[in-house]
Amino acid sequence: MSVLFYLGAALIVIGALCDLFGALGLLRFPNFYVRLHAATVGIIGGAAVPLFGVALLALGADFLPNRYAIAGASFVTGVTVLLASPAGSHALAYAAHKAKLVQRPEIDHLAEVRDDD
Amino acid sequence: MRGKSLITAVIILTFAALMTYAVVSLQVFGEGIGVRPLGEFYLENSYFGDYSARSPEVVTSILWDYRGVDTLFETAVFFLAIIGSLTVFRLTREQEKEVKKAESTPTELTPIVKDVTKVIVVMILAVSASIALHGHLTPGGGFQGGSALAVAPLLIIAAYSKYTLEGHGMDKTRALILRSIGLLGIALVALVPLLSDGFIMQNQPIFPAEVNGQLIGGSLIYYNFFEFLAVGAGFTAVFLLLSIPEEKFKKILGVKK
Repeated sequence: MSVLFYLGAALIVIGALCDLFGALGLLRFPNFYVRLHAATVGIIGGAAVPLFGVALLALGADFLPNRYAIAGASFVTGVTVLLASPAGSHALAYAAHKAKLVQRPEIDHLAEVRDDD
Repeated sequence: MRGKSLITAVIILTFAALMTYAVVSLQVFGEGIGVRPLGEFYLENSYFGDYSARSPEVVTSILWDYRGVDTLFETAVFFLAIIGSLTVFRLTREQEKEVKKAESTPTELTPIVKDVTKVIVVMILAVSASIALHGHLTPGGGFQGGSALAVAPLLIIAAYSKYTLEGHGMDKTRALILRSIGLLGIALVALVPLLSDGFIMQNQPIFPAEVNGQLIGGSLIYYNFFEFLAVGAGFTAVFLLLSIPEEKFKKILGVKK
């Protein structure tokens, strides 16, 4: 068990904390956009980071059979989540803004976009 | 409200207590009674021995070798479901053409989503192929890989439009042809053992377990590949049908507003 093992384990713990904070934020934050931010914290911090952690942990675990396969699969899944989640959040926020479903935002940087369409 | 929450809490706690009791008293995580004779048979005959598929992933080996006919009928159920939805959405040749024409410029999502979709579609193709073609080595297999494959056209439909997918050559007819090739492949691979006095869908002594020193698990890789093709294309056909706009159908059926 090398440094990689402990580094990976630490990343997994960070992921658990991010999941907890994401869940808390999803429950307690006031409006849709900030809640979306909390959800994204839960996905990036709580899914992508632990997946990279699993990859490092598997690389560092000498006793594990097929550890390169596990590390590779985790890494690819982590990259996919890392790419897909921001795009999904962006699409959700854009759609909510365009449909004028959220009345609360005090600062509206997308107002000019709405006027264009 | 409070009473309901209390009842829910009591039910959950009782269930948790019962489960804990069951786990502790049945020694689920204890020594147990070891591998049963049937399990031993499957373990020995899926990887070790001369008459084995040499597949470390015993589940795939059982699914396609020892219970192949069972799996064949499960696959048949899936294809009946696809055929059913194709029948519900059946269209004449002119109507097919009509459905392929975009009424106005279809709304697409923002450039951010579209660019990310481009990257992710390629990744999904690679990952799904890996799930399917590794089916005899790692958990996964044809059906799982095919389901993952079907996400790629679904993402294209969502981020771009159905017409973009059809414009790039993946229309319903092509999807159905691919699906039929997959189904035909499964049937042919299942029938090959009959030629050399084997049983139907039995494969261990007939198909090579290794090619160039690389474990391919006898017929398992062929089954997985064809199932991958068939499931992915089948789902794609259904997704294409489901993404036909309602206005088109209203127009075709002559529904007055």
